[in-house]
Amino acid sequence: MEKILRIDMGADGGPKVKEEPLGEYAGLGGRGLTSAIVSKEVPPLCHPLGPENKFVIAPGLLSGTLAAMSGRISVGCKSPLTGGIKEANAGGQPAQVLARLGYAAIVLEGKPKGDDIYKIVINKDGVQVIADNSLKMLPNYDLIDRMKSEYGDNIACISIGPAGEMKMCAASVACTDMELRPTRHAGRGGVGAVMGSKGVKVIVLDDSGLPMRTPKDPDKFKEANKLFVQGLQQHAVTGQALPAYGTNVLTNIINEVGGYPTYNFKEGQFKGASKISGETEAELEKQRGGVPTHGCHRGCVIRCSGIYHDKDGKYLTKQPEYETVWAHGGNCGIDDMDAIARMDFLDDNYGLDTIEMGATIAVAMEAGLAKFGDAEAAIRLIEEVGKGTYLGRILGNGAEFTGRAFGLERIPVVKGQALPAYDPRAVHGIGVTYATSPMGADHTAGYAVAQNVLKVGGDVDPLKPEGQIELSRNLQIATAAIDSTGMCLFIAFAILDQPETFQALMDMLSAFSGEAMTADDFMDLGKKILTMERDFNKRAGFTSKHDRLPRFFKTEPLPPHNITFQVKDEDLDKVFNW
Amino acid sequence: MLRNEKDKSRKGLSLVISKRLISVFSPLLQHGFSVITTEGTNIKEFLCYHLGFSPEYLNERIQSILLNGKPVDNPDRATLEDGSTLALSASMPGLVGATLRRESILASFRSTITHKEKNKTKDGRPARVTLKLFNLVMKESGPHLLKQGIIVEKDELIGLLKNQPSSFWEGCKEIYLNGENIIPDELLEKIESEGEWIFLQVISPEES
Repeated sequence: MEKILRIDMGADGGPKVKEEPLGEYAGLGGRGLTSAIVSKEVPPLCHPLGPENKFVIAPGLLSGTLAAMSGRISVGCKSPLTGGIKEANAGGQPAQVLARLGYAAIVLEGKPKGDDIYKIVINKDGVQVIADNSLKMLPNYDLIDRMKSEYGDNIACISIGPAGEMKMCAASVACTDMELRPTRHAGRGGVGAVMGSKGVKVIVLDDSGLPMRTPKDPDKFKEANKLFVQGLQQHAVTGQALPAYGTNVLTNIINEVGGYPTYNFKEGQFKGASKISGETEAELEKQRGGVPTHGCHRGCVIRCSGIYHDKDGKYLTKQPEYETVWAHGGNCGIDDMDAIARMDFLDDNYGLDTIEMGATIAVAMEAGLAKFGDAEAAIRLIEEVGKGTYLGRILGNGAEFTGRAFGLERIPVVKGQALPAYDPRAVHGIGVTYATSPMGADHTAGYAVAQNVLKVGGDVDPLKPEGQIELSRNLQIATAAIDSTGMCLFIAFAILDQPETFQALMDMLSAFSGEAMTADDFMDLGKKILTMERDFNKRAGFTSKHDRLPRFFKTEPLPPHNITFQVKDEDLDKVFNW
Repeated sequence: MLRNEKDKSRKGLSLVISKRLISVFSPLLQHGFSVITTEGTNIKEFLCYHLGFSPEYLNERIQSILLNGKPVDNPDRATLEDGSTLALSASMPGLVGATLRRESILASFRSTITHKEKNKTKDGRPARVTLKLFNLVMKESGPHLLKQGIIVEKDELIGLLKNQPSSFWEGCKEIYLNGENIIPDELLEKIESEGEWIFLQVISPEES
């Protein structure tokens, strides 16, 4: 993983491939690398769909090794949804395969002059960029079936569906899973539209004949990985709750606490929550011959995903995650698990971010395009997007665009990106992260990483309200660093509670690179990434006024607790003071 | 088999079913069922002395306790009253999941909704509490509570039973309604004439 593959899609005479060493980007991976390249090489004021923007794909520092959980891949660019820097990441197989092919990053540059669409095939023999207009407007599942028939089963694909080709701001980038299905998505920020603007439909990766990446100190690496896996397996969240129920295990508890955004963030509890909970979903999957416990990539030991079958016992989609079930479920007043699963499939097939689409449909429902609770109408709205009708093109550009198109005042977005499934009026701390993350509203921007282990910014009394700003800062720093390793963020739960598991991760990173990594080094990496991202946004015209939640969170009390978001603006402005 | 004549003659519905079917009742456990306790009982007393949870299970497994939708940090110091709703969960993922844990390092994130105990005294009056069990707590404690018996909304119970496939009824070995042994075909019609709330006991011979 010592080289960068650059493909100039706008070169005279057709796409031009160039390989170069990592150079100044050495030591970076995942989000660290995508944000470094975008921050340094993309003019912040450029049009996100224009030739000056770059589309960067980077596996994590540990991807392609034997390290458990190291299958995350980062996608970066200037976002057409937020207008700022964007990193979205996904699971699936491509991170491992791309890393074994030796690439720290693929950078798509320029813009094709014609309207040809391309596939890029990368294997041990080299790189081919092939125009293939027969792929135009193929949904992701059909596209991957085509790639399978052409290149066999031992591939991993990164692709866009029709939404990406239509350059919609809710378009995702799909990554194939272990079954070679396009179910894992770098969803947020419209990254699929940027890939579409480069004229690239699919990147086919094949690591046949190539070995695993080897650490500098294999014995220490193996031992650290063993302890790391033990830590994950013994923890109640990563070893029991997530494997049993998946991320949708959160529905019941978030609903109970009154933080489950319902009817486009009007209420904090949904009456039908138990019908779409993780517990109910897992039971349904078992009854129908699906799988409630399944990894999204090889080397995953948490296995929070699953396979969802329809009433006839046939594959419908992967197990819809908490955010998806909320977005298409409670937020739209829908308590029909099969309808939600169908929408999950449609999103994956058209290549859409499930959070943005669910939030958009709820906005559309508030605008009167459909009734809350009408699952069939919601499905039809997604189909409009897939077909690219005029209405579909409005919806496919996200919640903010749709809200404006229909004259709505209540639009739950930050920096243009829809809020995920936790109402910040009930849990103020996540509102701090939603407001201030350089990515726009993002629940993964500040994750549960060990404040008590890392001790950055000193100890914070957990039972006093004053600590929210410091905690959000530290969580965002640590998350940026984890996003660079290729590690799934869910490792954070074991790290939160078990210092020895955190140490095992540090030891793995050290044994791999041959250079000792401490907790301080780890946090410095996170700070460096956030500094680059904030700097890009500043140059793109962002100010502190963009680090705010929509006004209605401060003025509309949320039932059942009837509280508003109360964190002061001047406190939000302190999050990045370090 | 029902263990004794007391079980058979108990007012309400008693079912003897295969162990594999117990999870059918998980929607009732998630949605909430009623338990009668004493006004002013604290959560720890309620769970450990009334319902039979071990103190170790409370400390180690039940990581999130929500009283009327508010996270509780200390179950010794939060008391129940008539109409209270208590929800129990194991450790949950996600930032917010971690935030909701008892005495979480991230507790400041939810400080505005954290349960704050008012001064209350135990006055001995009966209190009807709605109990909700989620995730691993439901899976591990649900069968025990179903065996003890829970009070559920009749309409919820009918809704659940109505949607069961024939395989459920095949695995339903005995049915007693108010002490009378009945067959599956009679059950729904007979339950209709019961009051708004119904005592439900579910026993699996394999669990006995």
